[in-house]
Amino acid sequence: MAQALYRRWRPQRWENVIGQDHIIQTLRNAVAADRVAHAYLFAGPRGTGKTTTARLLAKAVNCLEPDLANRPCDACENCLAVNQGRFLDMIEIDAASNTSVDDVRDLRDKINFSPNVGRFKVYIIDEVHMLSPAAFNALLKTLEEPPAHAIFILATTEVHKIPATVLSRCQRHEFRRIPHMEIVEHLQRMSAGEGLEVEDAALQLIARQATGSLRDAISLLDQLASANEQVSLERARQVLGTVTSQAVVDLVDYLIHKDTAAGLELIHRTLDSGSDPRQFARQIVDYLRSLLLSKLGNANQVDATAEIRERMAKHAQAIETSHLLNMIRAFNQAGNEMRSGWQPALPLEMAFVEVMEQSAGSGEEERKLPDAKPTRPTRRAVVKIPMEESPPTGVPEIETTVESRSVNPVDQESRETYEKIQQSWDPAIIKQVDGINKETAGLLRSTKLLGMRRGVLIIGFYGQILKQKMEAGNHLEITEKILTEFIGRTVPVRCLALNDRQSEIPADVDLDGMVAAALRDLGGKIVDVH
Amino acid sequence: MNWNLLGHEWAVEMLRGKLQRSQPGHAYLITGPEGVGKRTLGLRLGAALNCLTPVVPGEPCFTCRNCRLIERMQHPDLSVVQAEEIGGTLKVDQVRELQRQLSLAPYEAAYRVALLLRFEEAHPSAANALLKMLEEPPARVIFILTAENAERLLETIVSRCEVLRLRPLPLALAMQGLQERWGIPPEQATLLAHLANGRIGYAVRLHQDGDFLDRRERWLDDLMRLLPANRVERFSYAESQSRDRAALRLLFGIWLTFWRDVLLVSGGAAVPLTNVDREAQVRLLAERLSLKEARQMVSRIEEALFALDGNANTRLVLEVFLLDLPVLQALPI
Repeated sequence: MAQALYRRWRPQRWENVIGQDHIIQTLRNAVAADRVAHAYLFAGPRGTGKTTTARLLAKAVNCLEPDLANRPCDACENCLAVNQGRFLDMIEIDAASNTSVDDVRDLRDKINFSPNVGRFKVYIIDEVHMLSPAAFNALLKTLEEPPAHAIFILATTEVHKIPATVLSRCQRHEFRRIPHMEIVEHLQRMSAGEGLEVEDAALQLIARQATGSLRDAISLLDQLASANEQVSLERARQVLGTVTSQAVVDLVDYLIHKDTAAGLELIHRTLDSGSDPRQFARQIVDYLRSLLLSKLGNANQVDATAEIRERMAKHAQAIETSHLLNMIRAFNQAGNEMRSGWQPALPLEMAFVEVMEQSAGSGEEERKLPDAKPTRPTRRAVVKIPMEESPPTGVPEIETTVESRSVNPVDQESRETYEKIQQSWDPAIIKQVDGINKETAGLLRSTKLLGMRRGVLIIGFYGQILKQKMEAGNHLEITEKILTEFIGRTVPVRCLALNDRQSEIPADVDLDGMVAAALRDLGGKIVDVH
Repeated sequence: MNWNLLGHEWAVEMLRGKLQRSQPGHAYLITGPEGVGKRTLGLRLGAALNCLTPVVPGEPCFTCRNCRLIERMQHPDLSVVQAEEIGGTLKVDQVRELQRQLSLAPYEAAYRVALLLRFEEAHPSAANALLKMLEEPPARVIFILTAENAERLLETIVSRCEVLRLRPLPLALAMQGLQERWGIPPEQATLLAHLANGRIGYAVRLHQDGDFLDRRERWLDDLMRLLPANRVERFSYAESQSRDRAALRLLFGIWLTFWRDVLLVSGGAAVPLTNVDREAQVRLLAERLSLKEARQMVSRIEEALFALDGNANTRLVLEVFLLDLPVLQALPI
């Protein structure tokens, strides 16, 4: 029975370890200078080379090669013994199967005997996060001051489960995920070495799927490999259940053009042809993320062909950032949905329809707002006040229905004034204030302009303390004076304290009205507007 | 020949290729929804590995002693490890016992096969205990793990295995298979294939569970009856259905497929429906409700199922759902 590729290609020399130069260099130097520490901790995600490096280090310290810098030589008696797994002084312990304190006591009893053949006894404790707390504690003394001939190497994927007392006794090395390109290059070398024919695009897909874990990538290649056939992108896609990038682009197209029917049919078609719904959702998220990146001006971080880039630019223009975020959220959730036994396609369909609803909602509002403003009819808002703040009469929830006085028809003049202030608030007005009183200017910088009601300018502070400070000294007077100079007439100023909830007071709610009071002072929440 | 399986040709072909070159991988993870054929594929792989008189290399005969014993899960070199019951926990002691067995050479077959079923039910310490052996097993040991989906396992487990993601069969193939292999009449086969969404094993299980179709019929009728009903009637229905949690889960499952159909139709998609026999009702509802309302009903049912998993009061869950159910005038059924 042939060994799996990832075992056959386990690096046997320092040079062959991929993507962990920062660690390998340190360890090589330590071996060359004969200054190897007595305890190491290797941490990092799966398939990044922890066990491999641990074995290499064990090999290096026991190698017989006279030139220290050249160890391990991979040719001497000891090196060969390690390669074949029959070296007596490299003790590899599966901490996940030997978790108990008795196992550690056993280790402690035996560690004092000197090595059989090599210079050092190397204890590799793999999956060390599974040791019981008692076992960790039993190890502490030995780990701190082991006999001169012993070296500990602990390896784990879950470093947060290791007690601090163990961490502080070890030299800790963090293994990184292996960059995409290095995986591809390594796979190319391997397939050449194994005589496999692999399409370049398939390698790219494999590497992307592996998300930085070399073992994942090699496993996949192993699975796809077959002696007489080329590994094609088509085959890789079928095994992985990924969809073509065209399908993803089309789906986003339908989202933008609000074509529900076509979108749902596309989802059905892709899944029917054998794609995995989770993979599909993830690919959509991936694409949307690229859109987000290119929208935020980081287009060069996106790894795509010129053709797709062009489509992307078009899409990026058609979607608003906030909507894009919503889409990413919805599809991300679909990708993580665990329970989908009944209807595998359902999470995707739901995400699609939800996004559609949101875009329809926001679109309507945009259209409604501008022309609805001047003649808004009297509206009633239902405010729900959370339970903990309701009076202790046992009534769980109070629904107050209040008439929010319709917004005073904002007279032209005051709106113009507000716009003028808004434009020159920061820095022009604040700068003038700064000339008179620096503290006032400082306070004003941490405010938010909320609006103008009946000729009174309303500014909001993030917190009660700032608001009180503003009202305490002559800060208001200074501000009003500057504003008067600026506008040409008296503009009174009112302060409000905002907290995160209050910042949600919609623009059309009268700040003095009962709705605002319920929102601000009672911690209510608008649940419905009639 | 396809290992006497229905569908999953690509997986069989890949595995057979490896066997023909006698390079089987040492660990496979077979994933897919319930009843899609994971265990069957695992057993067939075991048979293909150990068949004494293969028809052609990599194609088991299904008649020799090894093939028959493995198919019945009685072969001495086949270790089946699973949680004691569905929804239970696979314990670390079971894994340790398995490791002990696997360190011995095969008794009579070429390979020792360790079949670990529903591995998402493994206790974290059990999964961790398997890691080292899964990476570098003794010679002539093959691990076959099955799980509903790979995300529910430790990353470190998945990365050591070759993953085969089984997917439901195309509906046409499932229908044909149900008719030919299990002798189910065409009409029923069509319905079962749709209900099981192409999961052949699940469809057969539904078929064998004699009164499932009757119950489904009743539940969908109930739903139709409840739509125009007032609160009193709805609440008395909730009371009558709240005794049996498992049945309630199934009921919500059926309703979920129904409302998804409504969602698809009201979205205008030309996609095959799950409840093919109820198409008229689905269309009627889709006409009366908006896409958003249909979507909300699906969400409500998902929430209800989630609540049921979380051990919520069954009657309360059903009552809440029925309160959210829109009130419609009687449908001409």
